[in-house]
Amino acid sequence: MAIIERPGTETTPAVVTPQQTLGAVKRPVETKGWREWLFTVDHKKIGIMYGVVAMAFFIVGGVEALLIRLQLAAPNGHILSADKYNQMFTMHATTMIFLFAMPMAGAFANYFLPLQIGARDVAFPRINALSLWLLVVGGIVLNASWFLGGAADGGWFMYAPNSGPVFSPSHGVDFWVLGLQVAGIASLLGSINLIVTVLNMRAPGMSLMKMPVFTWMILVVQFLLVFSLPVITVALVLLMLQRSYGATFFDVSQGADPLLWQHLFWIFGHPEVYVLILPSFGIISEVLPTFSRKPLFGYPFVVFSGASIGLVGFGVWAHHMFASGLGPVSVAVFSIATMAIAIPTGVKIFNWLLTMWGGKLWYTTAMKFAIGLVILFTIGGLSGVTHSVAPSDTQQTDTYYIVAHFHYVLFGGMVFGLFSGFYYWWPKVFGKMLNEKLGSWNFWLMVIGMNMTFGPMHILGLQGQPRRMYIWTKARGGEGLFNFGFWNMVASIGSFILAIGVLFFLINVVKTARSGKTAPLDPWDARTLEWLTTSPPKPHNFDRIPVVHHLDEFFHRKYEEDSAANTMRKIADGEELVRAEEAAADANIHLPAPSYWPIVLATGVGILGLGIIYGVPIMVVGFAVVLFASFGWVLEPSVAEDIDFAPASNDGNTKEIAPLG
Amino acid sequence: MDTVSHVKNSRRRIVATLAGVAGTIALAGCAQNAPQDTFVPKGDNAQKIDTLQKVVFPIAGLVGVLVVALAIYIFIKFRDKGQDIPAQSHGKPTVEIILTIVPALILTVVGVFTFRTIMDLAKTTDTQMVINVTGQQWWWEYDYPAQTDQGITQPIITSGQLVIPVGTNVLLRETSRDVIHSYWIPALNGKKDAVPGRIHLLRLQADKPGIYAGQCTEFCGLSHANMRMEAIALSKEDFAKWVAGQQKGYTSPDEGTKAKEGETVFINQCSRCHQVNGIKDANGKAIISAPDENVYAGAAPNLSHLMSRTTFAGAMFDLVNQKCRDDVWKAKSDEFGAKYLTGVTTDCLNQKNLRAWLRNAPAMKPMYSDPTKLAKTGGKYRGMPNLGLSEDDIDKVVAYLSTLK
Amino acid sequence: MAETATHTADHSTEHGHETSTGLTNNKLAMWLFLGSECLLFGGLISTYMLYRGRVSSGPHPSRIFDIPFTSVSSFVLLMSSLTMVLAVSSAQRGDDRRTNLWLTVTALLGATFIGGQVYEFTTFIREGLGFSTSLFGSSFYTLTGFHGVHVSVGVIMLLSTMGIIRKGKITGNKAEVVELIGLYWHFVDIVWIIIFTLVYLIPS
Repeated sequence: MAIIERPGTETTPAVVTPQQTLGAVKRPVETKGWREWLFTVDHKKIGIMYGVVAMAFFIVGGVEALLIRLQLAAPNGHILSADKYNQMFTMHATTMIFLFAMPMAGAFANYFLPLQIGARDVAFPRINALSLWLLVVGGIVLNASWFLGGAADGGWFMYAPNSGPVFSPSHGVDFWVLGLQVAGIASLLGSINLIVTVLNMRAPGMSLMKMPVFTWMILVVQFLLVFSLPVITVALVLLMLQRSYGATFFDVSQGADPLLWQHLFWIFGHPEVYVLILPSFGIISEVLPTFSRKPLFGYPFVVFSGASIGLVGFGVWAHHMFASGLGPVSVAVFSIATMAIAIPTGVKIFNWLLTMWGGKLWYTTAMKFAIGLVILFTIGGLSGVTHSVAPSDTQQTDTYYIVAHFHYVLFGGMVFGLFSGFYYWWPKVFGKMLNEKLGSWNFWLMVIGMNMTFGPMHILGLQGQPRRMYIWTKARGGEGLFNFGFWNMVASIGSFILAIGVLFFLINVVKTARSGKTAPLDPWDARTLEWLTTSPPKPHNFDRIPVVHHLDEFFHRKYEEDSAANTMRKIADGEELVRAEEAAADANIHLPAPSYWPIVLATGVGILGLGIIYGVPIMVVGFAVVLFASFGWVLEPSVAEDIDFAPASNDGNTKEIAPLG
Repeated sequence: MDTVSHVKNSRRRIVATLAGVAGTIALAGCAQNAPQDTFVPKGDNAQKIDTLQKVVFPIAGLVGVLVVALAIYIFIKFRDKGQDIPAQSHGKPTVEIILTIVPALILTVVGVFTFRTIMDLAKTTDTQMVINVTGQQWWWEYDYPAQTDQGITQPIITSGQLVIPVGTNVLLRETSRDVIHSYWIPALNGKKDAVPGRIHLLRLQADKPGIYAGQCTEFCGLSHANMRMEAIALSKEDFAKWVAGQQKGYTSPDEGTKAKEGETVFINQCSRCHQVNGIKDANGKAIISAPDENVYAGAAPNLSHLMSRTTFAGAMFDLVNQKCRDDVWKAKSDEFGAKYLTGVTTDCLNQKNLRAWLRNAPAMKPMYSDPTKLAKTGGKYRGMPNLGLSEDDIDKVVAYLSTLK
Repeated sequence: MAETATHTADHSTEHGHETSTGLTNNKLAMWLFLGSECLLFGGLISTYMLYRGRVSSGPHPSRIFDIPFTSVSSFVLLMSSLTMVLAVSSAQRGDDRRTNLWLTVTALLGATFIGGQVYEFTTFIREGLGFSTSLFGSSFYTLTGFHGVHVSVGVIMLLSTMGIIRKGKITGNKAEVVELIGLYWHFVDIVWIIIFTLVYLIPS
């Protein structure tokens, strides 16, 4: 790994030989090739790996979705058996939520959060790596079930008592429970890590209200996770104890109350919805101002509405349970509380529109996806308002109208936001521009495909097609040209157009990697600190920790107000600013060392989990690995001793950074 | 002044047109006569929901059209035409406050109406008739307690099709024998979950005679998609006839007929789980089925008056052929009662599906009847197993079942 | 979670860098972790409160709880909080010998509590309250067992820390490590006070 590349100065990478044996084995020395990735603690590498893992699972979840649409294209479909279909929709949701959406948001958060706040890494680099590897282990455990007797088949909501040992006798639910617990630990550690990073490691001068909105939204999300994950963990533990050790928590014959699961699940599950959408809100709150050449309209309102969405999000879980037999008073309270959430959400949409109002709109692919989010999320949000009306919801819940609603919110909202982020930040991460022409194809096919797939579902749902059914019948499908057959076919065709749209993105990625044009340092005339460094950023992010004076610090370093002409005058360009930082670089930046332990510990946790399914001996092995890794971890200093660093060269201005620590 | 109001008017007209166009597209795109349409109320409770929906959906639609129109206006008007970089204004708190208060006001109004409807739909004081509804994998059982004012002098147990008198406030007391199910007849009311160990109440009332389709809407395992039901509303007189039919005693088929042989097969093969009220064995002893010994949920459909229903196997299959089905489903409401009460005649019987069902039930409807998968239930089935009947036996059983009018 | 408390090795990449909040990263992380743990125990306690009266078979809580015995073991656990405070203050004074002494005493008291819990569990099982006997049984063992696991993890952390301090291999600020374990330990004690009150003292 080259350290600092500066024209004219030839620097040999510092050769590092650890002087002492740390813990049980030596600290990793080699950081070339695959080891560079496996043992890294660099938030940027971890971020990229999060992205790769999430994208892989996006494809897995997407294939599952296509199979579902194939099955439902015509009445009495026979592509999938009832059993396989139930596994398919369970795993589609689980994969998309826990293995694509959250990790992909994690990819952005990991990569850009330290950059946006002017930090050199996250607070706990090794825990960061541990989170990634636990997620990978969780994902593998979840999907291993496909090959070990069938996947979970109880729906991603896994309602008791259907998820109990009697009604779901295969190991699918066991894998699901364990996979999610492991992924849950990953998220919890990740969220604590990111909160500490944001609260403690901001560059001098960056007060909370000068933080980029993306960082803000990620912060809100991490708080949601810290306080909602333990609740789902309780639910999962109860279910695991029942399935594997004979506990009685959801055994109705013993007097159990099945609604306990629903409450625990949705106390987590509803904040989870905001966990999914807020990162995308954050992304487009960066993209829209950049391509409108205006600051975000009403920054404090966007921030506080995000925070209040998060807060109120904890008090509305029972709107998933309007049909479950709560008393009318609870239903009324949760109904009204749910409507209240529409207000801060509306505030956000208006602020995005007003950000563009009076701007100078530049329609790049990133901007198109951001605009797509605004429109599609509005549609999804409004159908959400119709759900908050509890009596109406008792007609529409568990029909395709709900499926339409949350896909507009999650696909039209969340996924479009993430794609906006891909196009916006790709040059930053990889130093190359994604192809805008292919991007345009990517965008339009996704818009058309998305609306064709999920638009008709509004009609299907309102006309009474329930969800989670492996077949639908002509008898309940109505008559006329626009019967259920027509709309289901449209939706299925749409899903393939959508898939082709996503394929264009993958083609774009490959093409860019092979022959994409090198990105300028500041291709979008951007506004925030992550652009105040090279693309891709150096291992230590910033040559000098920036001192922040403004919201949109980078923009304000480039532009000066021209109050006479009521416009902005350019005083510097991004390239010059980055060179200036390089010239004033800090000396002797010590970066955290790579470590074996995160991946070893994660593997141990995975083995421990499998032990719960396959018996005590495996559990003992897992426990031993966990213990071994824990002690190795504790005994290993994260930053190497000074003696391990190559001595600074005599040139007083030169800095040597040992990539190994 | 005039021009201002003119502009306002024309703007209003544009908005109205846009909303109208969107509405027309949405309506024109709908299927006709979809049996589970949520916007076609046929009774009081559904009507209350519909009244609310017909306010909320247009408001949501209108807001949507306005926002999208504004967005499109912005996209065109403020595109990059080479203008200067705009002043870096950070927003106007007044605008923010207005944009917070306006939606809040709209939602307050919606909230008030929602609250009233919720309370209305939870009322139980005006109940005129009670029916116990029990869900299990994957069919519904209805149990009518004796209610002399409704002419029900002894309890009635039936399944698949819920029969109610029109203009009567019926209260369903829902529960489940295994997992959570949800009872939903869109034309009559929203859905309500049937949860094991709990009793949930759902009001139903139908204005006119007719057949109203429904579907279990809480995912309940393997054959969730096949757990359907119908509500049958009959005029008060027809309902009394139906009750009388259900309370009619059992008549064993005549000796020497195929049906009589079928009764023997039924007693040997089916009566362990399926009750037929009044059936007696060769010694004249009443046969009481014991589904709890064979089926995990502890119940199997009571077949006493099977041929008075038009569906079987959790309303998954029609017991009548397509022609007779259309006859019932498409009957005008004043003719409906008579047609439904005719029951399943020999001409109408859907021989194909009934035979296939008797031949190998799990092949027709996914169920847990593979003995290797029943370890957790102590060998008890979830659903009906393959009984291995011979074609001859099937003939006989069909002949017998046809007599259960 | 043993790692979290002793993760002192992970800190901001610059030595001595002032944090924005003034709290060290480790301490802030520990507070967040404990905040999350509150919800975890909140969920388990709610489950127990919902189910404690549901005894379909086996003994009823009032029949098997031995309040005097549990009071004593609760007192032992409370005392361990006191010794933990003494350990932290010794560590802050840099007095290794006393730090070690008080950590040992804390670990012993914790182990005594665990011993009491094991004894209690075996007694209950002998009296017919199995893990699968009733909802009360399942939720009682799960709640108190989870707490017991937390205490055990604490004991392991205490012993490990002592070992590491003795071998001089501690990474990061010694006093802070002890303080973090102290935070965790006090949290676990407070949770026990709540559990003891709700489970044992308030009759169902």
